[in-house]
Amino acid sequence: MRPVHPNDGLPVGTAQSLYPNISMSDFSVGFRSTGEVRILDLKGELDAHTASELEAAIQKCQSDQAVQIIVNGANLVYISSAGLGVFMAYIEEVREKGGDIKIAALQPKVFNVFDLLGFPMLFDITDSEDEAVSRFSAATS
Amino acid sequence: MFLRFAGAYVTFVTIESGSQYYRTMNDPSPVDGSVDVARPPGQRLKLFGSAGLFLASLVGAWFFHLMDMQSVAPMDVWVRMVHGLVSLAGAAGLWYAVSELLSGSGAPAPSRVFWRLIVAGAVCLGVAGPIASWGLPVSLPDSMPIDAYLGFDIQSGKPLAAAVAVKMMLVAICQVVFVVILLESLSQLVLVKRTATSQRNWVIMLFLMAITSASTMANPPGDPLSTLQVVGFIIAGVFMLVNAFRLSWIVFLSFRRRLFVLALSLGLGVLMLLGMSGPGGTGSSVIVTGSFAYLQHYSYPLATFTSAGWIFGVMYCFTSFLSLLFHLPTAGDYEQRVGERATMHSLAHLVGQVFDSGGLARTIAAAPVEAGSASCSWLATPDPRSGSLTPVIVGTHGITVDRINELVDTEAFFEDASHIRQPIVVNNGALDRRMKVRTGDEIGSLLVVPLMARGEVLGALFAAKVVSRGFERDDIETVGIFAAQAAVAMDNARLFEQQIEKERLSRELAIAREVQMRLLPQSVPQISGVSMAASSVSAQEVGGDYYDFVRLADNRLGIIIADVSGKGTSAAFYMAEMQGIFHSVSRLATSPIDFLSHANTAISHSLDRNVFVSAIYGILDTDNESFTVARAGHCPMAFIRLSSDASYVRSPGLGLGLDRGDLFRRSLTEETIRLQPGDVFVLYTDGVVESRSMAGEEYGYERLLEVLTEHRHEDADELHASILRNLRHFLGGTPYDDDMTLLVMKWHGLPVNRLAESAFIAEESS
Repeated sequence: MRPVHPNDGLPVGTAQSLYPNISMSDFSVGFRSTGEVRILDLKGELDAHTASELEAAIQKCQSDQAVQIIVNGANLVYISSAGLGVFMAYIEEVREKGGDIKIAALQPKVFNVFDLLGFPMLFDITDSEDEAVSRFSAATS
Repeated sequence: MFLRFAGAYVTFVTIESGSQYYRTMNDPSPVDGSVDVARPPGQRLKLFGSAGLFLASLVGAWFFHLMDMQSVAPMDVWVRMVHGLVSLAGAAGLWYAVSELLSGSGAPAPSRVFWRLIVAGAVCLGVAGPIASWGLPVSLPDSMPIDAYLGFDIQSGKPLAAAVAVKMMLVAICQVVFVVILLESLSQLVLVKRTATSQRNWVIMLFLMAITSASTMANPPGDPLSTLQVVGFIIAGVFMLVNAFRLSWIVFLSFRRRLFVLALSLGLGVLMLLGMSGPGGTGSSVIVTGSFAYLQHYSYPLATFTSAGWIFGVMYCFTSFLSLLFHLPTAGDYEQRVGERATMHSLAHLVGQVFDSGGLARTIAAAPVEAGSASCSWLATPDPRSGSLTPVIVGTHGITVDRINELVDTEAFFEDASHIRQPIVVNNGALDRRMKVRTGDEIGSLLVVPLMARGEVLGALFAAKVVSRGFERDDIETVGIFAAQAAVAMDNARLFEQQIEKERLSRELAIAREVQMRLLPQSVPQISGVSMAASSVSAQEVGGDYYDFVRLADNRLGIIIADVSGKGTSAAFYMAEMQGIFHSVSRLATSPIDFLSHANTAISHSLDRNVFVSAIYGILDTDNESFTVARAGHCPMAFIRLSSDASYVRSPGLGLGLDRGDLFRRSLTEETIRLQPGDVFVLYTDGVVESRSMAGEEYGYERLLEVLTEHRHEDADELHASILRNLRHFLGGTPYDDDMTLLVMKWHGLPVNRLAESAFIAEESS
């Protein structure tokens, strides 16, 4: 359990009160499993406010000893730099345990954000979830 | 005159002794020593009038008895009735005078009333006793009726000598005076905490006594009462009994006070029994020989009234004595109530202690002890400094923190109390696993009450008693009420502190903002052939955006734009670090890739794993007319030239901090653009393209290129303003959600003289 970086939370009473029109809960993480592989379905907008939800989801996978994780971004409509930070925070740990976080089915606009930062050089980003699953099974067999 | 004097003397003596008593007992009620100092003239007239009425009745009685002595035949019935009426009226006048003399402000202390009555009784009986037995043999044989010994005619009841009549009057009047003082004084006690019913009962009792007495006006002395009169007295007796149980004043007495009044009531009771005429119509009391016989010969109605008053006095002494005796053990309760009330009062002032949390904690901790509900107490709250939930003892009363820690596991109790949110009572500390006490330690039983405000547990109030099973239901309730009050006060103090903290924080942030603004360039560099404009706004007080320029040489300018992931304070710290890195590394770096690689190494050490920095670094060379850029994960630079469409320069490259090794350097590529006059470069952070309109639509990359194309002929300043205007228009009223930085650079081409100069240099070198 690593501490949540202050970057993920906001200073007390500033962002919320200054920008009341920003929806805070427009994000959800769904859990699925295919064999050993854990699939996280992201939905909505992943930003500084909602990043902790994805963190919690990945932490849950870790506590379940599931290290083969696919993040399905088919319904992810927005990601901010704080959201990208979540992937960076856990990838090393997961890989040390012999697993991986693969990112699948991103919408073009969201993929662009990943791509601008060079994430494809660091992460296995696939067009579809099936492809990611097959890469996991290829790696284990 | 003697009576007037005696009455005044009695009043004087009681006041003196009463006030002395007050000083020793330290009673909180005001000393009432000025009973009849300032009396309005009208009242004084009434006082003298009523005293005069009494004296006139004495004179009338004297004449009646003289006439009675002179005449052989018994007096006519109507004369006796007139005499009875006059003597009753005189007694009423006396009553009024006495009540005027005794009336003070407010109810007198019970001890004072009893003391006054003992003194008055002693004086009256002390005067009446010797007068009555003057000239009589020491012991009276039973063979003759007492009237004969006292000097009355057995048949007619007339006094046989003038001296007998004088004795009769004096002895009778002494008793009447005492009974009047008695009833008037006791009324002050009976009517403590009066209600309409209690007042009515008192008046009915007096009325029945007076009516029944008045009905005996025609009775010759020595005759028994008629059946009707006896019935009247029995009814009056019932009301006497009811009034004798009006003892509310006992509740307000402390233990020592009760003991004192107990002794006084016993003394008064004994005195009255000694002065009361014996049963069976002997007509004598122990102290005053022939007390009743004299009275009856003086005036039958007065004798009956006095006897009734006397009986009520004895009754009241009896009930007072027993009641005091039985209520001695409950005296502590009253003292506790007084303590509770005082503590409640001090708790009400807790509100004023919001500025002093230490003082507040001490006051709360002391409350159970001061209220008399505990022998020692303390207050534990979650550590306000560390912010952890582990409780610390912030205030103690009657015990030291070290001693508490030896005996009680405060943390365990705090946890349990916060969990169940109810008071915890430990009846026997020796048996509780959370306590390490032995018999004889300061803590035998313990009460733990959580302090709750707005559904949150703010602390726990611990109250302990030396004995086991020390906490009764009312103790728990009392401490519970304190806890509720204290919780509100603590909550207020906390809110107040938070408010102050918030203001302090916002001041700090304002300072941080100023500091950050100074980290950004105050103006764009003035370079011939180039126009530049830049701006940066933060979503919050401080942000993670950065842009800057550095002159690497006369002809070379380093330009950076960077965006730290996330927002707010932490981003601002990394932004400051980027500024430091930029100014130190840029002069050493030979190329944009070189710079970014060094910057990556430098900043990766301090970046948290989930934080990264995107950046574009470019070197503008005015001599070579080139602009060389490398992109590290940043939003691609927009570029337009007169001869071509707007586009993005999107060379590959990882963000700073995403890889700490070789991969970063390998990911970078440089792009060098040969400058042509009219070339425009737009550097920006994602806040620009990701800004969203009311409808939720992103500004986006396309729109930026469109506005760039539209305004390509403007110089940097105008273009910068045009883009911001377009962006603002697009956003409508929505505020910025992200840090937003925009830098526009336009190459106008070298001025003619510089061109000539460079041509000359080129010629020379060739």
